[in-house]
Amino acid sequence: MNNVFEIASAVQSGKMTAREAVLYSLQKIKELNPQINAFVEVWPEEALKRADEIDARREKGEKLGLLAGVPVGIKDNILYKGHKATCCSKMLENYVAPYNSTVVEKLLAADAVIVGRTNMDEFAMGSSNQTSVYGPVHNPVDFDRVPGGSSGGSAAAVAAGMVPAALGTDTGGSVRQPASFCGVVGIKPGYGRISRYGVVAFSSGADQVGVLAADVQSAALMLEALCGRDANDSTSLDEPVPAFSRNFTPNIKGLKVGMPKGFLDNLDEEIKEKILAAAEKLKALGAQLVEVDVPHAKYSAPCYYIITSAEASSNLARFDGIRYGYQAQDAKDLNDQYELDRAPFGPEVKKRIIIGSTALRASNYEACYLQAVKVRELIKRDFAEAFKNVDVILTPTSPTTAFTLGAHKDNPLAVYLADLYTCQGNIGGLAGISVPCGNDKLGLPVGLQFYGPILQEEKILNAAYHFEKAL
Amino acid sequence: MILEKDNAAQCARMAKIRLTPQETAQYEQQMQELFGWVQQLSEVDTSAVDVSAAAGAAYLRPDEPIADAALAQTLVSAFNEQLDGCAKVKKVL
Repeated sequence: MNNVFEIASAVQSGKMTAREAVLYSLQKIKELNPQINAFVEVWPEEALKRADEIDARREKGEKLGLLAGVPVGIKDNILYKGHKATCCSKMLENYVAPYNSTVVEKLLAADAVIVGRTNMDEFAMGSSNQTSVYGPVHNPVDFDRVPGGSSGGSAAAVAAGMVPAALGTDTGGSVRQPASFCGVVGIKPGYGRISRYGVVAFSSGADQVGVLAADVQSAALMLEALCGRDANDSTSLDEPVPAFSRNFTPNIKGLKVGMPKGFLDNLDEEIKEKILAAAEKLKALGAQLVEVDVPHAKYSAPCYYIITSAEASSNLARFDGIRYGYQAQDAKDLNDQYELDRAPFGPEVKKRIIIGSTALRASNYEACYLQAVKVRELIKRDFAEAFKNVDVILTPTSPTTAFTLGAHKDNPLAVYLADLYTCQGNIGGLAGISVPCGNDKLGLPVGLQFYGPILQEEKILNAAYHFEKAL
Repeated sequence: MILEKDNAAQCARMAKIRLTPQETAQYEQQMQELFGWVQQLSEVDTSAVDVSAAAGAAYLRPDEPIADAALAQTLVSAFNEQLDGCAKVKKVL
């Protein structure tokens, strides 16, 4: 019951009902969510009603959609009309979505069944799902460890088998890193592939909707249903969407896999071993390993934190209690009103807003923000140059496996550095996928990441699919 | 880039974020570390980079008003208070 492709096929053909698929999912959530805290709200009656409608349509002989009867979780920053969308923040604790996001419209059009909203770091700011107002998510592999973040609830829900797939958002690795920590597949398509209309903005130059699923084929099918041009998002690309789930090649003979120069330096030995073993596996499958040079990629993490915090300080200005968010009733004047209205933001969100305001301050603008934007351009050029010689680029997803809850509490810089491999994809606008490549000595999952150029998601899906089969 | 003294407090005020003295001290220290780390960006030669030429194409909608009374009503009803079909906010001046 964890393969999206198999569930949809079974529901479409009548071998299984959507009700059965949804009941299974709801039962798993009931059993496991009290320990894991992956879902912050579940809509059982509504999900079952929708499943029955899908089953009734099939009985009438109607052709069902790509995701027929597939139970799906959505991250709590994605708008689903009539349902709460809080970004796991006290700031939006009572906010009810007045319209559907485009991704929700697409899920519904494909006959998926949305069963609930998943836990996340507050406003998607974090890599461990410990900043949520609903409390932390526990990694299903080891309850004392984090699931990664910010889409930690979505990753944990899939890893625990509560749903076969879930939506996340990825601004610096927030789909791929939790996928790596929880041992599932996470894909972030290239910038502009999936509409962000109705997704609460954190950093508009980097935010992308992504998918968490138990296997590559499931992720591919979800992606197929979600991609495409949307007039409501000016950054969405007007390009055809391939049949990702059916376009896998018979093998990867001749696939050129780029290995960035120096990318394993200073890496944890166990993870290094896994990545090198994965490279050998790809070679055995017929791929060709090629060294590539992306000299500016090492600056991705500082670049990322400046640009995204600057964009966040602007995007989150709307949470002033007048346009959105909490409204204090005892303010003395306008400044007091704003400051009291913004008090419900948690510490990490406040910090990022202040970092962004600092970077954009007139005295810092050129040396800090503008310099980061220029370095981002050099990173993009490095990757564009590298992709002239290779089809995909291989890296670890994360420099560590899942850490214990509460670790790095007083050392945020250590957490920021953990995004090094994933934020390159957001800074470079690339497509990226994390796929499990084994476990460390403690039994914790290790993730392998493939990068591909924008609009070539098929290449990374194909590489990941063959690697997954061979593992 | 060297952060000015009291940077966190000043920028928090500009961003309308009220901090406690403890939060101010904590953020001040964390931001010194963060911006010290970010300083590595200054070692990159970006003199030949023109970011204005790098902006991607945007696909804009025609600038046409959308008359959807039901949506307008839904949006207004999301506010705590309404008056004559408009969102009512507290008088602050």
